[in-house]
Amino acid sequence: MRERVHIDTDILIVGGGTAGCLAAWEARKVGGPKLRITVVDRANIRHSGSLAAGQNALNAYINQGTPEDWVAYVRYDLLGAPVREDILLSVGYELNETVALMEKEGLPIKKDAQGRYLRRGKWNIEVNGRWLKPITAKMAEKAGAQILNWVYVTELIKQDGRCVGAVGFGVRDGRFYVIKARAVLMAAGGAAGIWRSRYEGDAHHRMWYVPFNNGASYAMMKRIGAEMTGFDTRMIPLRIKDTYAPAGTLAIGVNAPMVNALGEVFMLEKEEYVRMGGHTAPTPVRVWACYREIAAGRGPIFMDTTRGDPEKVAGLREQYLDMSPTTVLYWAAHDIDPAREPIEIEADSPFLVGAHAACCGAWTIGITRMTTIPGLFASGEALGQAPSRYISGCWTCGRIAGRHMVQWLEGEGTEVPELDPGLVAQLETRTFAPLERWSKQEFFTNGKPVRGVLPREMEAHMQNVMEDYCGGRIHYFTVSEPYLEIARRRIDRLRRDQLRYLVARDLFELERAWDVINRLDCCQLVIEHISYRKETRYLGFVTRTDYPERNDAEYDCFICSVWHPETDTLVFKKYPYEQIVPGDRTKETI
Amino acid sequence: MPPYVLPDKCDGCKNEADPWCVAVCPGNLFVIDPVTSKALCRDPGECWDCMTCTIFCPRQAIVTQVQYQLAPIPAELIPRLGKRHITWTLIDCKGRIYRLENTILAGGEED
Ligand code: SF4
Ligand code: SF4
Repeated sequence: MRERVHIDTDILIVGGGTAGCLAAWEARKVGGPKLRITVVDRANIRHSGSLAAGQNALNAYINQGTPEDWVAYVRYDLLGAPVREDILLSVGYELNETVALMEKEGLPIKKDAQGRYLRRGKWNIEVNGRWLKPITAKMAEKAGAQILNWVYVTELIKQDGRCVGAVGFGVRDGRFYVIKARAVLMAAGGAAGIWRSRYEGDAHHRMWYVPFNNGASYAMMKRIGAEMTGFDTRMIPLRIKDTYAPAGTLAIGVNAPMVNALGEVFMLEKEEYVRMGGHTAPTPVRVWACYREIAAGRGPIFMDTTRGDPEKVAGLREQYLDMSPTTVLYWAAHDIDPAREPIEIEADSPFLVGAHAACCGAWTIGITRMTTIPGLFASGEALGQAPSRYISGCWTCGRIAGRHMVQWLEGEGTEVPELDPGLVAQLETRTFAPLERWSKQEFFTNGKPVRGVLPREMEAHMQNVMEDYCGGRIHYFTVSEPYLEIARRRIDRLRRDQLRYLVARDLFELERAWDVINRLDCCQLVIEHISYRKETRYLGFVTRTDYPERNDAEYDCFICSVWHPETDTLVFKKYPYEQIVPGDRTKETI
Repeated sequence: MPPYVLPDKCDGCKNEADPWCVAVCPGNLFVIDPVTSKALCRDPGECWDCMTCTIFCPRQAIVTQVQYQLAPIPAELIPRLGKRHITWTLIDCKGRIYRLENTILAGGEED
């Protein structure tokens, strides 16, 4: 048995990011000084997660119109998809207030000549966001939350049908952490590294989304039987080629048009794209259009910064220093000046997210953020069917979750039962199993385990399967049932009989081992959800060659699944979409 | 753009409870070599290139390089952390030097 750390808390927050830290802050505000709040993170909350390099804009802000107009835009931007308008509206009503709060806490927000927030497009404002993460983390610190940095949560604990805590291991101290909680918030981010990375070796983590976000949110909730949703979407980001830095800074930031190799502003010049919205077409459509141009022999695709607003183009390097210093160094190394030459863009590999342009996450009840497992809440990227919340929306969502958790504690979420020692022991064995296996290995002369699989080997196998059979770049991100069937067989094989060979030589590799365990669960969710939706609703993100049309009669609804451990299958159900904001879903209202 | 540590500059953050690079990396990638007492990124391929380690190193011992498979040498980007700003010195492949600055915290202008 390992050295154990026992913690008893009221609110356990898994993941100290935008949602987690603001949930801690709000819970303290409404829950009073006695409330015990614990935040756990696999790294140091001041620098962990997807904001580690900063961000130069907040992409959810109501510059004009109403929260209803913003929701109509979010819906439009995902091709009129069914989205949880109730959840989005709850965010919309508090977005601006949350941003003002964070400005007070030290976030530098750029201003225009009149002293108003500097807008970038309808729903975005510009910030100097390099320090977004430390500023966000300060909210949890100010809330007086107990902060456990460097603890990797492996499993949620479910007893009597309810979530009562979590376990994990210290990535530095190697201890087994057992945390009992009356309410648990899952806010551990989305998933990168499911599909094969664009580059290998020392560049295999050169990607848009942070590679340390491993889909643990989705995997852990799935494993305790929460209803999961939205994995029939995925985000394929158009980004600056090679550095995969956001390209929105080039498009709406400096007004550079997107052009093909012939210099055509194809989104505006070609009837088929104009019909779909031109240069403000829904995000997936723009990805689809780029790849259509490339397939027709008119690639590469560029953001033509030589045609952008010259003053703003001159400030591009500073803007990228706020979120992607790589890009600035890369331009310097290649002698690229965006004022002199267009910047090439391409799609990065797909990612699973719930707060960006995709819907992955847990299904939640009303606007409480509580999942279908009592006591388990979800926010940030872990919250399903409410896309495009971005940083400011996740802060806001965290606050709302914090409030509802306190309400739950005051109502049904009274005392939790004592943790079942047998269950805890089982979870401990599971947590450290790859390390134990290593200690029982025999080794080849070069040190490779004889019957052990290293996390990196299994990850590569998984990523190859997803790339080749689940709509990877090599198929221009298209997918069909015959491919999915192979993906399903191979991922099932990995999950069902290969995990027993997974080994880890030290704690650092144990993190990697759990990364791959979690990612494999995400693969199952993605394959089965895409397979279930026999239509093409998210053209560009999930383009099905076998079902190229939309089928509203069958699939204009939410699709949820519950994992059954006995059979290792996902059982599906549908919920009707409820339109709250009236009007044509494929149109913006302002 | 993994970070590499210059042995002559790194002092292992002798006076800190936790060496800065070890304390800030979101990927838990920095360790101190027990033999040399100097820092290194234990797996450059795992790095996300956020440059947080480089920004925080009090000795400017960490050099950030673009992976050679993506870009040729030489070019340098050297941050210096102030209280409310980071000042960056950028040297491109032609040897041209640029001084850039970004605000990180609102409030007074003093560093
Ligand atoms: S922060 Fe700099 S000086 Fe300190 S241990 Fe790391 S590399 Fe060495
Ligand atoms: S650049 Fe970021 S991810 Fe890479 S080693 Fe430094 S702190 Fe870690």
